Amino acid sequence: MQIQVKCTCGEGNCPEWAIVELQGTVEAQPSFQNSLQNLQIGILCRQSQESHTFSVGYHELTGTKVKLKKPMLVLKKIKLQNEEEIGETEINSLRVELDVIGIIRHKILFKTRPKALISKPQLAVKEKVTPPSSTVPN
Amino acid sequence: MDMEHLGLRSTGGAEAVLGLQPNSTMSIAYHSLFGSHNDITLLEIDETLIPDILQQRVTIRGQPDEDAVLCTQSKTYALKYVGTSNSVLLIPPSDKAVKECNDITIPVAAVFKVAPGIMEVVEVAPKLDKLKFLLSQNPYSFDEASDMDISHERMNTGLYSWDNLVDEVQASNEELRSGLQALSAVEIYGYWRVLDDKYMDMILNILLHDVILNDWSFNALNEDEVLRALETDGFPCNIAMHCLKVYGNKVEEHVGGSCVWQLEERRICVHFAREILKSGKMKVEKFMAEWIRKVPDGMHASFDMLEGEVLTEKLGIETLIYHFSVSSLPSTPAERFKILFRERQKWEWKDLQPYVRDLRVPGLSAEAILLKYTRRTQPTVDAEPIFSAR
Repeated sequence: MQIQVKCTCGEGNCPEWAIVELQGTVEAQPSFQNSLQNLQIGILCRQSQESHTFSVGYHELTGTKVKLKKPMLVLKKIKLQNEEEIGETEINSLRVELDVIGIIRHKILFKTRPKALISKPQLAVKEKVTPPSSTVPN
Repeated sequence: MDMEHLGLRSTGGAEAVLGLQPNSTMSIAYHSLFGSHNDITLLEIDETLIPDILQQRVTIRGQPDEDAVLCTQSKTYALKYVGTSNSVLLIPPSDKAVKECNDITIPVAAVFKVAPGIMEVVEVAPKLDKLKFLLSQNPYSFDEASDMDISHERMNTGLYSWDNLVDEVQASNEELRSGLQALSAVEIYGYWRVLDDKYMDMILNILLHDVILNDWSFNALNEDEVLRALETDGFPCNIAMHCLKVYGNKVEEHVGGSCVWQLEERRICVHFAREILKSGKMKVEKFMAEWIRKVPDGMHASFDMLEGEVLTEKLGIETLIYHFSVSSLPSTPAERFKILFRERQKWEWKDLQPYVRDLRVPGLSAEAILLKYTRRTQPTVDAEPIFSAR
């Protein structure tokens, strides 16, 4: 079986995506769990040349923009219908292709322990601090 | 301002995140189409592979029950999924399709998906053992060649065209081609075949007979003359050419004219050694006598030609020799050493070397491969090192 990898946007036109990476998980309040779309997560701020902060709920994370050691490609699996005529019968087979829809060269990485912010209003989304080894399901 | 559900204007996206200036802020929100998007994966690869990927020279190969590999034109890479416990928020470039809404004053970038892990690639040796297995199921024999009634239904089962092989074998195109060459495979009616031993032996013997008959030189065979003679003997042109390629080397290329070939002494001598040893283990002296007799006049058989092809063992005062060819061993180190140590518990380096020097593990040197799969002992400082299983 062969799956072709291609880039329909064309070389040189492949758009750059971004990653914001943090330790722990982002959790929405139960009442919002099923309608996350368009919900604000937090505020990203660039403090200085080197430093970014990300405020989610009661927490403020500090981090930096880093260049990835190796770039990453964003691949999308595409299923195509293949209509073939073999002899008298028509065979509909599925063909899978992988389309490169983006490339990532940088990320904003937050590695520090979050700082608790005081006197912030109750927000729909908060950042839950979990030890790195466990993940909280979304 | 309603901070909870923001109407998103396409002002942001990845560009805004990456281009955020000092002393600026922006909002990060869930995309209007946020979801698990299991059809989207992240693949970490070397910068050097990117042009190949973007120019459609890369494919993923493998059967459903195999671990997928990524193949460029010349190399093969294993794909490994590495999970992460971090939250990797994936932000696409600004999306014109995002719904327009309220007037907002700070840019917004939308998170499309949280990636639970990424795919990594590791260069690996091509998995060519399967190629050998597939082709050896239906070797091309003299009987099949003489069978004028070629029914194409029969031809379609158990036979592999180039496209079939690409489908079945996890190797890049170049590696697949060298694999076919290493097996001395030949394309017949669009299918890649290996010739069975008897057929090869037959053609070679007839070729050697023709050389003597026509008083040709082993070192300067005229391609056209050879093909014509073998055709008269009943061998189709492509099979005759194949014989030249397997047992000879092209020494002169004449554009518009006939090429000149030289028969390879070693390959021919090894062929006859194999034929003799088909009957099983035999005493070395008996073997040598028969071998010298069988080898064509003008060619010289020497024992060192047989490295990687035969092993000897002592039985009392006699030494026996038997066929043990590196070409019949698996190409993966773990499997290879298992068989080698089953054959012999202890190996001296000079005996072992011909059976391991073709092993390839990208990223590991020959010494590292030995270190990983064998135990090396050296009785005394002057003694030869001995290799045994770990």
